[in-house]
Amino acid sequence: MKALFLVVGSITGRLMRRRRSIAMFFLTGSLAPLMFFLALGRSESFAAEMYNDLTFSLGMATLYPVAALVVSTAALGEERKTLTLPFLLLKPVPRVVIALGAVVAAAVTSFVILEAGVLVTWLVAAVMSGDWSLGIATTAGVAIQSLASAALFVPLGLVLNRATLFGLGYLFLWEGILSSIIEGIQASSIYRIVVSASADLASMTPDTYDSVDLILGRVTIGAGGAAAKVAVMALVSVVLTGSILRRRDLVGE
Amino acid sequence: MTPPDRSTDALHVDEPTVVAARLSKWFGPKVAVSEADCSFGSGVTGLLGPNGAGKTTLLRVLAGLLRPSAGSATILGRPPGRKHGVYRHLGFVPEDEAVYGHMTARRFVQWSAAMSKVEDAGSAARRALETVHLTKDADRTLSTFSKGMRQRTKVAAALVHDPEVLLLDEPLNGTDPLQRARLIELFQDLGRQGRTIIVSSHVLAEVERMAGRVVAMVDGRVAAAGTVEALRDAMSDTPRLIRIGTDRPRPLARRLLGGEWVESVRVGPDGIEIRTSDARALGLDIAAGARETGARITAVSPEDESLDSVFRYLVNPG
Repeated sequence: MKALFLVVGSITGRLMRRRRSIAMFFLTGSLAPLMFFLALGRSESFAAEMYNDLTFSLGMATLYPVAALVVSTAALGEERKTLTLPFLLLKPVPRVVIALGAVVAAAVTSFVILEAGVLVTWLVAAVMSGDWSLGIATTAGVAIQSLASAALFVPLGLVLNRATLFGLGYLFLWEGILSSIIEGIQASSIYRIVVSASADLASMTPDTYDSVDLILGRVTIGAGGAAAKVAVMALVSVVLTGSILRRRDLVGE
Repeated sequence: MTPPDRSTDALHVDEPTVVAARLSKWFGPKVAVSEADCSFGSGVTGLLGPNGAGKTTLLRVLAGLLRPSAGSATILGRPPGRKHGVYRHLGFVPEDEAVYGHMTARRFVQWSAAMSKVEDAGSAARRALETVHLTKDADRTLSTFSKGMRQRTKVAAALVHDPEVLLLDEPLNGTDPLQRARLIELFQDLGRQGRTIIVSSHVLAEVERMAGRVVAMVDGRVAAAGTVEALRDAMSDTPRLIRIGTDRPRPLARRLLGGEWVESVRVGPDGIEIRTSDARALGLDIAAGARETGARITAVSPEDESLDSVFRYLVNPG
């Protein structure tokens, strides 16, 4: 257990200090000024609806997954690129524990960065709408997003040199286009899993509900189901990453 | 000529702690290590060879960072990589400069100790940093360290859990002469304590200062093993190729051919290449020969003095 905390601590410390991580905070926080200008001079109910629309569409569809992708691919990927991986691997710690530590570190770091952006937007929305509970659903959403992205992109960062680019392609093609037009694959879309969790906790107007329904397609709303799916993803990811750490050459000649 | 000691006895030790058994490692079509068959025991062993000889790859396979393509590696009887418990007894200093730049030296060494399940990681880290003379700078972040200081920090991190086996890949790179002397003394001390210390280097003089035994690698193969003295003897008896630049190559070549140390001569338009069994005697004779023949000497250079050439002799003597 102590080794797990040490792995999580070292990877989180490094991820938090990256310039890109700071840039990702500004990316996720960019919804706050947008929210302010769009809701300025409008009614409180409009401000609440605008918050939901912005977070469900722009935040969860683009900003949060991109930020979580950038953080997650670097968890072990950067250790490999900067040649510090031997310091982690050559320790009397099972590789699966290192894998678990990396996934947890990526999820925690992503959550902190995403939630920092959410908090700023939440604050603006709460002041303008008078509803201080707005951000709870979004917080649940970014928690699911963080863990799902860590599960998917930590092993990818370990094996691919251009994992972030590959991940952006995945977000655009799979999440953006294919799962919008092919109903059969919607259940595997992280975007829809995140929205289904968040929508379960959000108080939505009929209009917002309609747009959420359109996004989800065949996926049903439910935070429990979303959390279960992501937990399974994380478990598979830890086993897979542990296996990669055991079986692949992760340093050059 | 005394051939280099390449017997099985020279390649293996009586009580091995680290064993490479017909170990090969290739990356696609490139063979980095080819059928390395040798063992290491207590004391300091120098892993010597020119750049690209396969030393780093061999150390990485021995450490379990790379999987062998063929053959096997064992540390204290266990395959590294698959059995993580072996890392309680193994310290490794990678060649790369990389460190966790955001950590202080103390934190990095303490973290290494805690990861290695050392009971009192703080005290162990303090002792390890004292050993490499980094106490004063221990609370500076590693990103502000010079290359030599980073090397010493990595050595401290590798030592902090008191390992029986220490694999050091070019650990003296970037260190100044004082630091170098201290590290060499440290490695010798650790070797005298009965630990297995394997130090790679491409500098023969460096290895000579710290290692009682040398395993030499060339082109991915273990070319020779033995004491430094045995290898030196083998090298000094090996014919050398000397190139002499002169404006009168033919008369000078005729004159030098009289020396019993000259094995063969090749004359070119602006110089001579002489293969000799005694480069020192030839050197003295060149001056006399030039005076006698009136030749102007423009250059005298050993064509094969590089470590690479010396090791090639060990592989293909003569």
